[in-house]
Amino acid sequence: MKFLLGLAWKNLSRYRRRTIITALAIAVGLAVYIFMDSLLVGMERESERNLIWYETGSAKVMNSDYWPDRDTLPLDEVIENPAPVLARLTSMGVEATPRTVFKGEVIVFRDPYPEDGSLPARLYAVDPATDGSVFRISESVSQGRYLKPGENGVLLGSGIADTLGAQVGYPLVIETRSREGYKQTMDMEVVGIMDSPNPVVNRTGVFLPLDTANLYLQMKGAVTEIDLHFPEVVGAPARAAEVQAALAPQFPDLMVADWKALAADYVALAETKSSASGIILFLVFVIAAVGVSNTMLMAVYERFRELGMMRAMGMKDRSIRRLFLMEAAGIGLIGSLVGVALGVALAAYMVNVGIDIRSLIGNMDVGYRTAGIMRGAWHPEAIVRAFLVGIVLAVAVAFVPTRRALGMSIPDALRHQ
Amino acid sequence: MIRIENVKKDYVDGDTVVHALRGVTLEVSDGEFMSIAGPSGSGKSTLLNIIGCIDEADSGSVEVDGVSADGKSTRELAGLRREKLGFVFQSFNLIPVLTAYENVSFSLSLLGVPEAEIRERTMTLLDEVGLSGMEERRPAKLSGGQQQRVAIARALVKNPSIVLADEPTANLDSHTGESILELMEAMNRKHGTTFVFSTHDRMVMDFAHRLTSLHDGLITADERRTA
Repeated sequence: MKFLLGLAWKNLSRYRRRTIITALAIAVGLAVYIFMDSLLVGMERESERNLIWYETGSAKVMNSDYWPDRDTLPLDEVIENPAPVLARLTSMGVEATPRTVFKGEVIVFRDPYPEDGSLPARLYAVDPATDGSVFRISESVSQGRYLKPGENGVLLGSGIADTLGAQVGYPLVIETRSREGYKQTMDMEVVGIMDSPNPVVNRTGVFLPLDTANLYLQMKGAVTEIDLHFPEVVGAPARAAEVQAALAPQFPDLMVADWKALAADYVALAETKSSASGIILFLVFVIAAVGVSNTMLMAVYERFRELGMMRAMGMKDRSIRRLFLMEAAGIGLIGSLVGVALGVALAAYMVNVGIDIRSLIGNMDVGYRTAGIMRGAWHPEAIVRAFLVGIVLAVAVAFVPTRRALGMSIPDALRHQ
Repeated sequence: MIRIENVKKDYVDGDTVVHALRGVTLEVSDGEFMSIAGPSGSGKSTLLNIIGCIDEADSGSVEVDGVSADGKSTRELAGLRREKLGFVFQSFNLIPVLTAYENVSFSLSLLGVPEAEIRERTMTLLDEVGLSGMEERRPAKLSGGQQQRVAIARALVKNPSIVLADEPTANLDSHTGESILELMEAMNRKHGTTFVFSTHDRMVMDFAHRLTSLHDGLITADERRTA
């Protein structure tokens, strides 16, 4: 074994240029893999965080009848009396805030706006006192200020503000229907503009105080949802089920949906994107595999005579196979080490610095809830996987040419030019 | 002792069947220094390959040093070659990345000989073939004659019963070729190893103590000479 190892190492040094080129092919493949994986994991984690912080919370409590109709934002399937529910949640140590989400039309007029216009909008009536315990809207105010209870003020997402041409202090009208179905017109003033890392909220978010909305919508204290915050992202579904079980005896009409259920569209999209990225990564590996395979083919074919001599001298086929696989593993090891080093360097840049894509995509919907800076995340499992794959890949592609060489008769191998 | 009885071997080349050996019977005693001579295509290399157990006869029987090669598995034949046979090739076939010492000791490594013994036997053989002081040179730094000396040392270091040499001087000039033949003869005398080599070179034929001639796959002459 020691002899074979020594010989394999010497052969790697003998074909130094080829060894370097092949190892480089593996290294580039692995580096791209580690970089892409870091980026995808980073974007996924950031998207999840931004979804929870700005859109869904960790989970929502709602009327069971509301869930199937939630896309139409009904105001008649609500939590009639949120106070005891909030009290129960507080007693369980769960941070919670009530919200009413409703649809309406945001209407603006020329002067001070550049022109007349209207936009259909999803409006979020929030409790300014407690919303910050679940969401981070208040921390994202970039112009003006956050909402105050009872005022006729709105906080606009930066995207919708841009679309309308709104600035702090501008008036706007919200046209909607009350819980009873009567048309309501709300004269509001833009008190602030928010710019969050979640482009969806920036593009569509219109926030107003809950008590103001309660009055206009004739909700009589009812809300459409109570949003919850759990410290752990990963355990949200289990925690939501626990909360549901705890609420059930006292509030049988209520249900709890965790953020994954609420953002099913995003989760599906992320999974699709992840599969597509998987295909790209697979192609990267195929290219690397072809490179390695080609080298191994050349390495074996060039040495048919040498192999013939070794076999004539009585070297076992198993040992010859081992020798070639060791050489391949050596190339894989060099490629893996360089690839992991390169990949980790790229990933480190992405984790610590990132790439500013704001100027490229603005508030465009790319599915992920990330805006501004694309950042990577450390994913040690992928780094270890890449390292092992580099070696296994090189060994795997060396099998075929080695088998071919060992299938040749010794006299033919000795005659080979 | 090599015993070949009525060995036949055909090759198929496209639609043509080449009868390389048409029924060769031959006995080589221990310690002989013999040459199998004949023109190209006479079957001498095929016969040498069959004696060396690196090719199989279509029919007939082959016995090498008291062991029948008939019906043996690839693995068993490899074992037979490893233990009883040494090979010297026309184009030396040294491993380019290994030094002269490593090329010679390679034979012993295959047999699992202890490191200290490998060193002693390898150095002795390199000395016997006149390569003392050149142990650390790689093949590229050796002349053709020196490379063939390494190959002879590699074949002999494991004390084989038989050394088979396929046109051992064909890639060497006549002076170097002669010195290689002298070396092989000296080794034959010193170690008592049987040497069988193929050739179509008159000088090589003259060196052999026994000359077996092949023509169209049949032995046409078998002449013993006094050494």
